[in-house]
Amino acid sequence: MSKLLTVRDLVVEVPSRRMKIIDGISFSLEAGQTLGLVGESGCGKSMTCYAVANMLPRGIERTGGSIEFERDPSKSGRAADPTIAMIFQDPTSSLNPVHTIGYYLESALYRNQGLKGNDARLEAMRLLERVGIDRAKSRLRAYPHQFSGGMNQRVMIAHALAAKPQLLIADEPTTALDVTMQAQILHLLEELKAETGMALIIVSHDLGVIARLADHAAVMYCGKVVETAPVADLLQRPAHPYARALIDCMPSIDPADLEPPVPIPGSVPLLDSLPKGCHFHPRCSRATGECTALFPSPSAIGRVHEASCYHPVAA
Amino acid sequence: MVGFILARTFRAILVLIFTVTLVFIVLRLSGDPAQQMLSDSTSPEALAAFNAKWGLDRSIFEQYLFYVANALRGDFGISFADGREVFTVVSERIPKTFALTVPAFILSLLIGIPAGIIAAMHRESAVDKGVMAGAVLGYSIPNFLLGLVFIFAFAVWLRVLPSSGSSTWRHAILPVATFALYNAAAVARFMRSTLIDVLGQPYIAAARADGVPNIEIILRHALPNAAIPMVTTLGFVAGGLLGGAVLVEPVFAWPGLGTGFVNATSTGDLPVAQAMVLLFTAFMVVINLTVDVLYVVLNPKIRKQ
Repeated sequence: MSKLLTVRDLVVEVPSRRMKIIDGISFSLEAGQTLGLVGESGCGKSMTCYAVANMLPRGIERTGGSIEFERDPSKSGRAADPTIAMIFQDPTSSLNPVHTIGYYLESALYRNQGLKGNDARLEAMRLLERVGIDRAKSRLRAYPHQFSGGMNQRVMIAHALAAKPQLLIADEPTTALDVTMQAQILHLLEELKAETGMALIIVSHDLGVIARLADHAAVMYCGKVVETAPVADLLQRPAHPYARALIDCMPSIDPADLEPPVPIPGSVPLLDSLPKGCHFHPRCSRATGECTALFPSPSAIGRVHEASCYHPVAA
Repeated sequence: MVGFILARTFRAILVLIFTVTLVFIVLRLSGDPAQQMLSDSTSPEALAAFNAKWGLDRSIFEQYLFYVANALRGDFGISFADGREVFTVVSERIPKTFALTVPAFILSLLIGIPAGIIAAMHRESAVDKGVMAGAVLGYSIPNFLLGLVFIFAFAVWLRVLPSSGSSTWRHAILPVATFALYNAAAVARFMRSTLIDVLGQPYIAAARADGVPNIEIILRHALPNAAIPMVTTLGFVAGGLLGGAVLVEPVFAWPGLGTGFVNATSTGDLPVAQAMVLLFTAFMVVINLTVDVLYVVLNPKIRKQ
């Protein structure tokens, strides 16, 4: 299988404050595969997505590393890069309140596929039906405020599909939704991935979401990737103490599992006052003197399983 | 929509009735018109005759009822000052004031809106700082003072424009410029801050991520949202122009409602002053009604409920 996306030593900074938000992360993604980015709030998951989609906000810049896409040899320039679409955490505020759902979808269809008029309307209806919104014809005239968050997320997904993306980036797509809606949206993403063969980067702080959708996962902490592994490996044999702690603090609904969730002590350090060495050492029970000196480089734990830790948790 | 407009119209009428009453009382409390109009040496008989002629010897309640009843028929009484119908005195001044305020309003939009958009699009740049410095300057000079500066510069010093009167269109240039500059500054400042606020919304970032061209982002995505709060501000600007007429027109001896109102209050010409306040209130009520209706037209969140 070919690599669709290769990110090497990516560095993203706030130049005005000389603060590194993302500090040298690397990962790759194969066509049709799903990568999960997991970690606590503020660890740089979303910024990684924005950097890949080339939509970093004002005042934040990519200052190092490379982001390479597999290029289509039949095209040149930017057109040769794979199409990327993105969906966001809060779908309702990501939709323009003065435009109808129809305008939103039809203008995207025009931009991406050159469809106009009736063709665009029919395709917009088909997309809405595909993402599970019924009475599509009348819904095209509706405004975002008339829809629930879950429906708006479906609209965003329909809009992303209009671009026929080879890569869909989903930044916390279910965080703002209620639980039943979460399950439906995840199911929809699974279906669409199988149907279109697009690759997916899914960001979540919820390991359950990652476990369900991702093939491969990268655990992030303070702007660094601390562990990468196939999802099953990560859940069963986490090597980095932080990954282990994330799994331990998930509540279980299995009645046989009597162990209470264990919270991670302390809190995420601020980016402008990161502890030296391994950024996790102040919260880590396995930390030694070595951990406070130098950030550990990634070492192989298994096949395609790496962790940046001097004292990985034994399998 | 129709129900909404009817409800607002009913409220507007209530506001007018309230204003008529308030103005009637306040002006009656502000001094005896007979003493203001006639000299101190007037005989008591002449004073009594004056009061009887204008109905000022009746109780204030009777005067009020007469006034309201006549006003409903379009009869606002006779001017104390020159004995002409108030209706005529006031209505011949209306076009004069509109001749200043309407061009000034249009001009302040034509200058203020593009300036605000350009400043917002080039936020924190030299262009933005230049535009905003100009706006702060225009906004902080009181408009009557700006009028005097213009008279000094263009009429007294350069001698290119007339300083007072209204006989030709050239007479309108300085008062319109005075009005427009001040209000263009206000419009530009508000346009800029509103647009910057809208451009920071997630749906704009999402549209940019989609590759929507910048010009389309501004015109189709940002401005329709910015227009909603802008309409409210433009209502204030339009109202401020009419209020500003009282300050600016006398500076240029422009024979509009503003000058007329200043004259009527200083000479105690109650019927004229009263009718003018009522007219100003009616303008404000119409402006507010327009703002309310436009707000509903522009904002789908309100329209669809």
